[in-house]
This record gives sequence, structure tokens and C-alpha cells, in this order.
Amino acid sequence: MLRQAFGAAMLLLLLAGSAAGQTADDFFSSEVLQRVDLWMNAKDWDKLKANFKENDYYPADLTWNGITAYNIGIRSRGLGSRSSTKPGLRVDMDRYATDQKFIGIKSFVLDNLVQDPSGIRETTAMRLFARLGIAAPRETHTRLYVNGNYIGLYALVESVDKDMLARVYGSINDDVQNDGYLFEYNYVLDSPWKFEYLGSSYDGYKARFSIKTNESKSDSHIWGPIEELVRLVNQTASPGFEASINPKLDLAGFVKYLAAQSFVAENDGFVGYAGMNNFYLYRLENKDQHVFIAWDEDNSFFSTDFPINARLDENVLARTTLELPAYRTQFYTSVNDAASSANDGDWLHAEIERQLNMIADAMNADTAKPYSNADHAAARNTMLAFPAARITFVQCEVAKQLGTAKPAGCP
Amino acid sequence: MRRFGRIALGAIGLVLVVGGTAHAQKKPVKRGLVWDDRPSIVFGRDIHLDIRMKLQTDWRTFDPDVDEKLYDFHSLRFGLKGEVTKHFAYEFEREVNSDGEFGDWKDVYVDWHTFDPVSVQGGRFKVPFSAEQLTGPTDTDFAYRSLAASIIAPGRDKGGMVYGRFFGRGLTYQAGFFNGDGDNGQIKEEQFVSPGETPDAVGPSFAGRVTATVLRPLPVPQRLKSLRLGAAYTNAELPEGLNSLRGKSVMGTATYFERVYVKGRRQRIGTELEWTPGSFGLKAEWMQAREDRLGQSNRNADLSDFVSTGWYVDSTWVVTGESKGDSIAPKKPLFKGGIGAIEIGARYDQLGFASASTEGPAFTNPRAEHLVPNTDEVWTIGVNYFPNRWVRLVGNAIHENFEDPNRSISPGTAGFWALLFRFQLVF
Repeated sequence: MLRQAFGAAMLLLLLAGSAAGQTADDFFSSEVLQRVDLWMNAKDWDKLKANFKENDYYPADLTWNGITAYNIGIRSRGLGSRSSTKPGLRVDMDRYATDQKFIGIKSFVLDNLVQDPSGIRETTAMRLFARLGIAAPRETHTRLYVNGNYIGLYALVESVDKDMLARVYGSINDDVQNDGYLFEYNYVLDSPWKFEYLGSSYDGYKARFSIKTNESKSDSHIWGPIEELVRLVNQTASPGFEASINPKLDLAGFVKYLAAQSFVAENDGFVGYAGMNNFYLYRLENKDQHVFIAWDEDNSFFSTDFPINARLDENVLARTTLELPAYRTQFYTSVNDAASSANDGDWLHAEIERQLNMIADAMNADTAKPYSNADHAAARNTMLAFPAARITFVQCEVAKQLGTAKPAGCP
Repeated sequence: MRRFGRIALGAIGLVLVVGGTAHAQKKPVKRGLVWDDRPSIVFGRDIHLDIRMKLQTDWRTFDPDVDEKLYDFHSLRFGLKGEVTKHFAYEFEREVNSDGEFGDWKDVYVDWHTFDPVSVQGGRFKVPFSAEQLTGPTDTDFAYRSLAASIIAPGRDKGGMVYGRFFGRGLTYQAGFFNGDGDNGQIKEEQFVSPGETPDAVGPSFAGRVTATVLRPLPVPQRLKSLRLGAAYTNAELPEGLNSLRGKSVMGTATYFERVYVKGRRQRIGTELEWTPGSFGLKAEWMQAREDRLGQSNRNADLSDFVSTGWYVDSTWVVTGESKGDSIAPKKPLFKGGIGAIEIGARYDQLGFASASTEGPAFTNPRAEHLVPNTDEVWTIGVNYFPNRWVRLVGNAIHENFEDPNRSISPGTAGFWALLFRFQLVF
């Protein structure tokens, strides 16, 4: 009975999706300003806004491009971005029907952009990260309507879940590499962490690394390898560091991720102003090695002269890794590569300008945003000016660090 | 409630004084504190105040283990119950929690019963629906009532009721109006209201029940004449919100069907059968609640009714030969020439929840037109041992099986066993 019902639901949704020829690629296409409609009981929408600090789910129907998913679940989300007037939302297709998907999507996030007057910091950073080969969610912008009323401009963010892992890590011998251990990093208020050893008890790691797959496994299977990684990073001297750590953490990938955050001047990332924040950690399927996945980059583009090695020495993992000459060189080379990629054909400036133009009308019509249209206009100008100044600054700083010839324009 | 309790106490005190004066001089009777199966204060003929106590403590195990405590202080109640002349009766009963503090009031009522065909009861008492729910917790055949009687039947509420009987007890009726919809039907979840609104309560409600020994006038074997059939109906106003009935496991340790959004009316219908020839007992009930869901869809449209349906059948046999009445008193108590009374029995019951509509895909969403159903099926096998009239030892083996294993006592597991031993002391 249950299987039949869910099967019918799946079939309907699949048929609806395939009939319209729409896929998740279309949904997250960064070239398109989407329109997403949520239909929910008026009482529920009022209650969600009133209780925006809670994670309670509410049922809704979702329509996009003429395709409707029925009885999905939505809830308020965010940390500092929680809002009663313009709630950030997590959308789950399978909240009320096991295995229900919408055009192949199990869940996604509607980022309310309340902390970014430009509206494009997060989406631009993720586009650049993907261009640099760093695991990052697909994103675009959308107008959000609830019960036919315009709520505001949102970023449409792909969830870091098994589907995303399969997309990024692909298959090995027909085995989709999406069944490893996925963790979302939880920022623990009043307890900034910079990768110091938290002791042999798993409590400190459980508080910070929220498991998203394989939840039924034992604590030792889930958090044991993280405790071991942190312990080894804190206790292993340089000579044996790479041999000891690399099997448990993709050091080259980590350095590349650090370099990308450095180029985009991310102030609240892995070496954030208040400790580590905003990332996923994934232990690859059937392996001991972990990798980092980018998340929530809306504090990037902080300033054009943001130091490229800011706070690297404060974080144990970053410091000990970059003490190794090879990785230190790789870091600065990667920062320079990011600058080159951004500069290639004026890509970054063009991308910023394209996104700003795409969202302009929707942003100005958004009356729920906590900043004015004048604020947005100022932020727009700041963003447009960022690429040229940042690229020059970064290239000059890298040359200084590596002792190579300074490019033109350096002081 | 506290105010209501004071009013009821005052009313009963007044009746005691007035009634006592009117009937005190007919025949000399033993007065003062006496023992008549229980402590009783006798003021005069037909005027007395019984001091009552009910204690139930449980020891139980679960398979698979569900992280519940082995020992459960189940229930302790103290009460006062009595009559004032042949015309009035009254009862107070209040729960005491495991910390020794007074908890909820149970029965608090005054009853006028001068005439068998028309009697009147007022106060707080059980809404007339479901024979098993109307049976006191110390007199039920098994440690726990059936799920249907526990969850669908309203339980107690404040109100007034007319009741009566004809042809002895050949035909009985009860009909009353109540403030809410019983303890089982009241709103237990915090309600969300928009600024400026005030939350509504469930009710008022109407309830009626009729029973009859339908074979009594017919030329059938004498044993069949005790067969009693009954029917009952309730109707209550239901405010908007997450207020529906919900599915709880037998011991209340898990919710297997969460509340859904409702608005409109909650109606119940019930049928019952009871046959107790000699030491044998057969009981069965079927009942259903239908709750409106007006304007409750994701798009504010009406939804099909939310339907709760349950039934049970149980059979018992008093091995030692005592009659199967409302309560069992051993003919030969332990230490008084006998071993007491022993009763064995078995019961099957089930309670399911679903939407009236089964069209389209089903969802667990509390606003779905077609809800994913779930049913708890329960087998109970039991032994009751009565060493005397005050003590009962209960042993029950309970097996629950959930239609949806993901909504059960432990998600992913459908079947559960529980073994229960209960010590009960009542006077």
C-alpha cells in the first residue's frame, strides 16, 4: 500500500519533470533568473515567519516552470541570516513522502540574501570555485512567490547531499561515489575553533561535525576518523606530516580550497574572523581520506586588499600544512591561478555584471530585504570595481611571497 | 478547575447537611468511622462517605528494547464517594503523581437518581461513549484499555447528563452536553494564533448512548438473554489547528500517527456488544471518529475527513467460577479457605488512522488530501489473580504490530512485544 502510493507519487513527478524536459541543470542554471512559487496554508506561512528561529517543517506545494511538486516540506534556516520578514528556507521534497524528488532534486536552499546588499557575492564565489575545480554547489537567483505574493529575491542553492556528491565525484567502476560520510560544519557559538585537538572524547567533534549520511553507524565509525585526523594534525611534526596526514585529508585539494577563499577575500570561511566556518567535510566512499566542500560564501569579496595569507597562521591545519614548502608554494600558485582565471577574458567582471543585470529588477522590487535600493546600488558599484583591483593586488602579493618578478601596476 | 472543585465540594457539603437532617431518625444504624469493605464515615441510614483509594504499579519489559523504564508508577488516586439519602450520590477523585503531589481531578460530580427512568448527573465525569472507556481502570479485563477506547472515546469532561433505565436494565440511555470533548479530545498542542486572535477551545459537545438486552424479550436460551448491544454518538465543535486525534502505542511510549490539521466538527459513532453468561465474558466494540478539515489544505481548500477507526474483541473466563460482572470478588479469598479468583483472557484490538480520500499519491503531510495510513494491531493475553476483593495481580503479554514500520515505537521495526506485571490495590 505504502510502496504503491509512493511509487505513484514518484511516477507522477518523474513524468511531470520529463514531460516538460526540465532537469536539475535547468533549475540551477546560473544563466536564468528563476521564478519559484510556494503554495502553503496562510496560517502556516504566518506561523513560519513568527517562529522563524525554530526549525519546524511546514507542508507546501512548489511550482517551477509549470511543474508542481505536492506536499513538500519547508522550514526556516540560517544562523545570522534568520529573518521573520524574509525567511531563509530549506526545501525538502521527501519530508512527507519517502524518496520523493522534484526533477531529480531531493532538497535545496532558498538563501534570503539578507547579509549581502549586492545579492551576488555567494553566487559569484561559487561560480568561480566551480571554474577552479573546487567542489561547490550550483546556484542561481530566483524570484520567490508565496501564495502568489512576491516575497523577494533569493539565491537558489543546491544542497550538499548524495546527488551533489554523485555529480562532483562521479563513479568508479559503476559505483557512484556518494555513500561516504558527509558532515556539515556547525559553528558553535562562543567557542571558535581553529582545528586544535579537542581530546579523545567525540563530544567536541559531534558538536561541530553534523553527520548527514550513514547516520545509523556507530560514533566510532562516524567521528573516530575525525578525532584521529585532528589529533595527528596537532601532534605530527613536519617531516612525517604529509605521509601521515595526506591519506586522511586531501592536502592538495585543501590548499586549493584555501587559495580560492583567499582570492575571493572570504572573511568567514575556513580561516574566518571567528574561527572555522561555512564548509562541508566529506570522507570519500570506501576511503579514509577527507575532502572539503565549499558552502555559504556570502562573506566573500570583503575588500580588494584583503591579505592573501590572512589568519593562515592562526589555524592549526592551515599553518602546519603551509609550513611544508611544497604546499606553501602550491598555495601561492593557486591564489595566482585563481586571479588568472578571474582575469581570463575579464571573466569575473563580466560574470558580476551579468548577475547584477539579471537580478536588478527583482532586487529593486524586493521590499522585504533589510537594506535599501541605494545600498544595493552602492554594493553593485563595489562589486563591479572588485575584480580589477583584487587581481592586481593578489598578483603583486603572490610575486612578493614567491620572490618572482612583480607584474605591472604593483606598488 | 480549582474554582469548579470548590463549588462542587460546597454543593456536596450542602447536600450532606440537608440530606442528613431529613433522614437521620428512621432506624438506628452504626454511625461514625466504620469498615465496610473500605473505610466509610456513616452519618446515618443512606448517608455515608466512603474513602477510596486506587493504586496501580507496573513492571514491564520490551522486546526489542525501547529504552523505557522497567518500573512504572502507573496510577494512584484518592477519592470520596457516597450517597445522601436514596436520591443523591456524589464522587470526588483526584490523581496523585509519583512525587506525591496532587494531579488532575478525575470524577467530581453530583448525581440525582430518585427515578430510574430519569436521573441527572452534573459535574465532571465520563462522557457516555464506549463501554470499555466507561469501565473504571481497576475493573478492565486487561492492564490497558483497547487503543480505540483509550484514544477515540472522549473520557471525562465537565457537563450535565440525563440518564435512565427501563425494564430493570433492559434498556438504558445517557444523553448530555459537555464543555469540551473529553480529556482525550481536548487540545494538547500549543496553538498558533495570529496577533489579535485568541485560541479557541474544543467544544461544546453533545453525547448520547443507548444499550439494550435485545434478546431478553425473545424466546431464546436463558444464557443468551444477557447479551447487551449498544450504540453511541458524539458531536463536538473543533477549532482550527493541529488538533486531531493521534495514534499512541499501547503504553503511550510512541506516537504512530501524528496530529493533522482540522477544523469543523468531530463526530464519533460507536457500537458495542457485551455478553457475560456466568464466568464467561465476551466483549466487543467498534468505533469511528470523523474530523472535518475545512480550509486546511496547502492552498486553504477543504480536505477530506480525517478518520480514526478502531475495534476490539475480548474474551475472558473466570477459571475459579466466579461470575463475570463489573468486578470480580473471590468466593474463597486467599487465607480464608481458598486461593482467590483467577481469570484468563485474550483480546485483539486495532486502531487505524487515514483520510477519507484515497485518491492520488499518499503523504504524511498533516495537510494532505490523501494521508498515508497507519494502524496498530494489538494482541493481549492476560491473567488476573484476585487473592481477595482488594488486590489484583495482572500479567499481560502484549504484541503490537504497526502497518508502517517507519512510524512505530522504534522506526524501522514493525513488531514489538511487551510483558507487564501489575500490582493493584483498591478499596
